[in-house]
Formats: sequence, structure tokens, C-alpha cells
Amino acid sequence: MDPVGRVLGTADATPLQFWTAVTPGSYLQLDDVVVTRRELPDREPVTIAGVVTQVRARHEGAQFDSDVFAIADGTLPAMVQEAAEITTTRVDPEFYVPPSPGAVVHRATGEARDAALHFDRMERRIPMGTGRDGVPVFLNADFLDGTRGAHVSISGISGVATKTSFATFLLYSVFRSGTLGGDAVNAKALIFNVKGEDLLFLDHPNTKLDEATTAAYARLGLPATPFPDIRVYAPPRVGDSSGAPDVSSRLTGVDSFYWTIEEFCGQRLLPYVFADADDERQQYTMVVHSVAAHLARHAVPAEGGVSIDGVRLGSYGELVDHVVDQLTDDETRSTWAGSAINMGTVNAFARRLIGSKKDLARLIRGDLAARRPHAISTAESAQVTVVDLHNLPDRAQRFVVGVTLKTEFERKEKSGTAKPLLFVVLDELNKYAPREGTSPIKEVLLDIAERGRSLGVILIGAQQTASEVERRIVTNSAIRVVGRLDPAEASRPEYGFLPPAMRQRALLARPGTMFVNQPDIPVPLCVEFPFPAWATRFSEAGPPPSGSMRSIVQGADPFAVVGSRGGSSDDEIPF
Amino acid sequence: MFVDAWDPAYGASFSGGEADGPASPSSAQVDTDVEVPAAQWAPIDVPRGIRCPDVVLLVDGVRRNDAGLWTAEEDGTSYPGLAASYAAGVVRCDLRNGVAELAGARVSRGLFTASPSAGELVAGSVRYEIHRVSGTGEASKLPAAVQAPLTALEIDVSAAARDHGSDGADLLVVDGPLRNRRQLPRTIGYVKTQQKQYLSAALTQVVTSLRAGQRTPVFHLGTVWGGWSWYLRLPGTSGAPWAGIVRVECSPDLTADQAVELAGLSVATLPRFASSSYKDPRAPQNLVPIAGLERRLRGMLGDVRFLHRALTMATARGR
Repeated sequence: MDPVGRVLGTADATPLQFWTAVTPGSYLQLDDVVVTRRELPDREPVTIAGVVTQVRARHEGAQFDSDVFAIADGTLPAMVQEAAEITTTRVDPEFYVPPSPGAVVHRATGEARDAALHFDRMERRIPMGTGRDGVPVFLNADFLDGTRGAHVSISGISGVATKTSFATFLLYSVFRSGTLGGDAVNAKALIFNVKGEDLLFLDHPNTKLDEATTAAYARLGLPATPFPDIRVYAPPRVGDSSGAPDVSSRLTGVDSFYWTIEEFCGQRLLPYVFADADDERQQYTMVVHSVAAHLARHAVPAEGGVSIDGVRLGSYGELVDHVVDQLTDDETRSTWAGSAINMGTVNAFARRLIGSKKDLARLIRGDLAARRPHAISTAESAQVTVVDLHNLPDRAQRFVVGVTLKTEFERKEKSGTAKPLLFVVLDELNKYAPREGTSPIKEVLLDIAERGRSLGVILIGAQQTASEVERRIVTNSAIRVVGRLDPAEASRPEYGFLPPAMRQRALLARPGTMFVNQPDIPVPLCVEFPFPAWATRFSEAGPPPSGSMRSIVQGADPFAVVGSRGGSSDDEIPF
Repeated sequence: MFVDAWDPAYGASFSGGEADGPASPSSAQVDTDVEVPAAQWAPIDVPRGIRCPDVVLLVDGVRRNDAGLWTAEEDGTSYPGLAASYAAGVVRCDLRNGVAELAGARVSRGLFTASPSAGELVAGSVRYEIHRVSGTGEASKLPAAVQAPLTALEIDVSAAARDHGSDGADLLVVDGPLRNRRQLPRTIGYVKTQQKQYLSAALTQVVTSLRAGQRTPVFHLGTVWGGWSWYLRLPGTSGAPWAGIVRVECSPDLTADQAVELAGLSVATLPRFASSSYKDPRAPQNLVPIAGLERRLRGMLGDVRFLHRALTMATARGR
């Protein structure tokens, strides 16, 4: 380890923070890891390790600002002195004494660096990028897979903070690093694609992948390949009776998802039509629940649609019209909505239900075959399931997210075991689980945040502003990640885990730079993760993998070798 | 009327009651016909073709009285003593590369007394060497005794600075009169305060009529510490007759031509080191590198309260 300076004596040295004067000719940058020792009488020396959280340089011997010109001119003698603030990350043995001024400070490498950043105590570590020094930085898997903690919260400005890229890279690392062993093979991921068609090409190689990026992956012990096994679901096209998926750039390997009217009634999905936090404050929630119960009780499957009270309803529009008719009819109202409901409430409900026809008609179908696979189910899907929401209106997005999460969570609840793990990547968490108000989706997300850890459901939530997300979801996230932040947002208490200097840096973090806080390291780590090895848009997508040519109806490959994951190999013939 | 640029705490750049220059006329024999006949004296500009040297070395020393002491002799008498810290250093101004650095500095501490029984004082890592003063050693004469070892230290460091790489064309500027430092080559003494009036009234008019960056012709002083000397005016002054005037001298061992050459070099060099009045209480005469050097040296002298305590403890132990 090379010495880089000495502990300063002109500023207080404390066990948790101290300043180091940098030896002329050496340098320290932010995030460098350093180590120093303190000799103690009659006991073993204490090793104090930390990371650089601030560096400064100044002219010593200058009194006035303008002295710098005399110094640069060569007339005033002065020397440039650099100093670095060190925030302690580890004291070993735990004996909290300050380092003594004058003690030599070394740059930590190899084992000393691992010890300083507590990597040596991590039994299972997931690479999540490189530090500023170019050496890998790890995440403790215990805090991701539910052993000791779970859930990831990623905050940052949209566009530059690369929240989704980091989430997908993290998933990739979980699946491909081998840290989780057999668990990683069986683990599933559910990703909601809310912006553009960004995430629809996870299984396409990135044509812009260069050698430097491949080397960066290799340094982390990862192959630079696209995700091997993904399945993409998109909503059916509007007005298309065949139910073809509504995507423009990805043409193969996309399946459409929808719910039949029978499922809508039987599984009581009506509350998710009213999943706006605004809706919950209204009186008509009672109506919603009694109508949902009535539908579940009385709807009888009939040729793709349902039949209620002898009336066949073949589309969502017909269902809505029938419900509204029944509610406005004085004779039938009380059987549908109970007796204590006044007309104003019923009208408010009816107005909104009619308003949902336009948004949901394409998703709730009576005209498509019920036997045709159409449900989003991670258990029967590929390793990564991408649900495309980007061209759905807001109400439909909420409906899909709410119903899908509820279905998945209930399935995990029934299975009763945490394994296989299910990772859920959801952007715009502040929309689905806002701090104020309640909604059915927020209930599901809170359930995931609070009980998901033991059920093996790991939420990787992303949002522009953590301050607008339900506090219980943020506090339940063991791992907090911050990309570039808005200046006003950075000053909020939700980011209290960032030291002041890091909070400032978060304002100018480049795309690809994240600050990751994990429970067993007292200082957030600055991480640079490599450019995706998979395509993030159509223009950079390489040739599609052969597996994606198959549609969901041919999902079971008759030639697939039993036990191997279908579609990942180009060699289609097993003999 | 002009306001003197110097902080009154430092006196004036010339001593005397009147504002028309150094008060006391010197008894020294002055030869003013060295460069040009006295009758043709006029301000001289920087000669053509003379450039400021690439490397200028400036030497200075600082001193501080740390404590006054009293000895208790066996016969009941007592001698005063003075514990002083002093330091000398050299700044190497590399004007071509724009680097000014401390080329060498040395700190020393001494106990000055006439007491025959006193020995050196050691307090921890601090050591005061004994400097026995001859005579009765009155307290008022002790500060002057520090000057000799300080000058010796200055000579040491300036010689050492030149040993570590001299391009043979550098110029060494000594703060204060040359005195016994005259053996150093390519060296000029730089006198900030004018105490003696060496020139006649007619020639003094040439001094006061100097513009910034001009010098008088070289003249020769016939005193013990005399030698070749000239006046020059630094830039950035208020316009008062003696503002910014310094006297520069060089070794009498040089020939008159060598002295004139050095005088030309000094006018080309010194004005760029002049300090500005809002930064330095003795501007412009206190040169920027010297001011910086003094600050560094004072820092090296150590904390006076710490030294005073060390002395108190060391003497208490000795009793």
C-alpha cells in the first residue's frame, strides 16, 4: 500500500472523521479508500479505514486572493497543499480512538480495500459496478434476497439518472453473477415498461457494445450478453378484433395480454378500475365493492362473455352499460349497491365507470378465446417478464399494474415459500404508491414492502422523488440508490443517508453513476455501472434471438431438451 | 502633502523629523564621480538589453524574543538573559517558470546572557543554545546580540541555496545592508530604510526626481561597511519625494564596471517585486517574496506561548 499523506493536526481528528494532508506528488480523489493505524499502549494497534468524502487544495502562505497572481508569477513563495476529508467506514478492532495527527495514511488496495468497505464480511456479494478507482464494488446479497433485508429504492431525475438501466443491470448481475447459485436460475423478474419501448429489447444484443464495455463486464465477473430468457407482453391493439399486440418496433416474440370478462367478474377486478388515489376519497367505494361482489356472485360464463340475470354481455362496454342501467333503475339498485346508497353517489360511480370504457375496453375482452393464453404469470413465463404499458392511458396502466401485482403476490402467498424469488421492477412508484391517500395498488405495494421479504417478492422501485412515495415503502427498502437529483429534492430528509458532500455531488452525477447505500456500510458508495450489453432501443438492437421468433402459443418447444431453458441456444436440434 | 505608505508602527521609510529625506547627514566619504561626474548626475533608466535574470534568490531572517530570564549566581548576583528564536531562509524565484519556493530555511534558538554559570536550555524537542555575551550584559543590549548569529545563519542558508543548483546568472538579494555578507557572489544588499544622508543637497534632488524604475548613478561609500551604492525608486508610490526610494549596495571588492552592471540589473529586477500598499504595511519597499518568506519563517519559529511554557518548565526543573 502506498502512503499518500498524513493525518492533519490543524483540524480536529475524530474517530469518525478526520482530515489528511496529501503528500506533494500524490493525490486523493473523492471515494478513494484509505487506511491508517493508531498505536495504543498495551493493546493491539487499531486500524482505521475510511473513504474520501471531500478534497481541497489551497495555497499556503497566501493572505489575499490576488496573491495567486504573485505566486503564479513566481514572486511570492507559497506551496499548494491538498487535504482530504476521510469518513471512517471501519475501525478494527472496535476501539474508537482518533487517529493521531502525523500518522501515515495509505491508499487501501486489495484486501485492505475489501475490509474497509466491509466486502470481506459479505458471504454472498453481487457486483453492482466499479468504484471511482475502477475496482468492483459489491452489494451484500443478504440485503437483497430477503435473508436480512430486501427491496431497492432508486431515486433520481428522469432521463439522466438512469434509474431503469441500473435496475436492469442489477437484475442482470443477480441472474448472471452466480452469487445466488441455484436461486438465481429459478428466480423470476417482472418488469413494467412505462416509457417508450426501452425495455422490450432486453434479449437483443447491443450493436454499440464495444471492447471497453465488454472488459468492464469482465472485471465484474459478468459476461457481456443480453438477457437470455425474456418474454414480452403488450396490450392488444385498439379496435383490433384479433387481439394482436400493440407494439411498433419489436415485431417478434411479443404476446398480448388481456383479461376475459369472466375473469374480470370472477376475480373481483372492478376495484382496480378505480385505482386512483383520488377515487378512494369518494363515497362510491362502497358501491364499487358491492358491485364487484354482485358481479362475482351472479356472472355466469357464456361464450366468451358472461351472462348476468339472463343478459349476455360480450364486451366491457356492454358490461358497463348493464351495470349502469341496473344501478339507475330504482327496482334493481338496492340488489346491486345495497339500500343505504343515495342517487348522487350512484351517479358519481356511474360517471366514472362509463369514463373507463374507453381506456379498458381493449384489456377486458369477451370476444377473444378464453383458452388462448393471455394472462401475465411469471411462474409460467420466462425468467424475465416485461409488461409493456407505455401506450396505455393512465387508468389502464394502474389497472394492469394493480391486477398483475395482486395476482403475483397472491400466488406467492399461496405457495408459502420465499423461493423462487420474484423481482418486481416498477418505475414511477410515486404514482402507484403516493405518500397521501390510499388505493388498491398502494395496498398491494405496501403488502409487498412489508411482507414481501418473507414471501420472496423483492420490489425494485424507482421514482423521481422519494419524498413523494409512501414512507413505509421507502423505509422498508434495505438498499437505497440515488442518481442525479433535483437540487430541491436533494435537501429533503429522505436523502439523509447521503453525507453533505455526496448530496452535492448527486446534483451533477453523470448518467451511469449512482450512489448506493446498503445497511452494512456506513457510507454510500459511488458506483459506475457499465453500459448495457443489451439493446435499450430499436436502433441499437442486434439480431433477435431465435427463441423470440416463437410466439406464446408455441411457447412449449417440442424440441427443447428437458431441463434446459428453451430458446437460449441457437442449436435447435438436440441430436 | 503626502501620506506615508508605511504603517506608522514600522516608522517611516526614512528616519528624521522632516519630510524631505534622511535627516542626519553622513560623515562618510562619498565619491560621486564613479559612473558619471557629479555635475552630470541625472536619473538613469533600465539599460537596453538588460533583462531581469531568470532566477532571483532573496534572503531574509526573522527573530523573536521568546522570554526574558534572570540567572541566580552563586555569589548572589544576577544576570539578565534573553531567550530568542531566529530563522533565516532563502526564496528562489524562478521567474521563467513562475515558481517561487522556499529554497532553504533554518531555525535556531539561543539563550543570550553574560552569566558565566548559565548552560543551554532543553525543553522537550526545543533546545536553546547558549551564546555568551561579553561585558556586563545589560538587558537592553541583549537583543542586539542576536543579530550576529542570525547574519551567520543567513550566510549559511544563502550559500547552501546556491549550492543546490545555480545557473551562474542568478541574482541574490539580501534584505538589509550587506555588511559581512559581501563575499557572496552576484549579491546586492537592499536597504529599505534611509537613515543617513550620503549625498549633497544638489545630488539629493536627483534622488527625489527619480521616476519609478529609475536609479541614480553609482557612488562609492568610504565607510567600514561601505562599498558601491545607488538609489532607485520602486513603482506604486504616492508621489512623496522619498516614497518608494531604496538604497542598493554591492561589495566594494567589485570593480566600478561590475558595480554599474549590477546596478543596471537591480533596476531591471527589483521593481517587479514591489508590494502594494493595501497588502503590506511597508509597501512598496518590503518586497513580495521577502514578505512571504517572513511569514513562512515566523511560522517556523513556533508558537510563542508553547515556547514560553517550555522555557518555564525547563528552568523550573533546573532549580
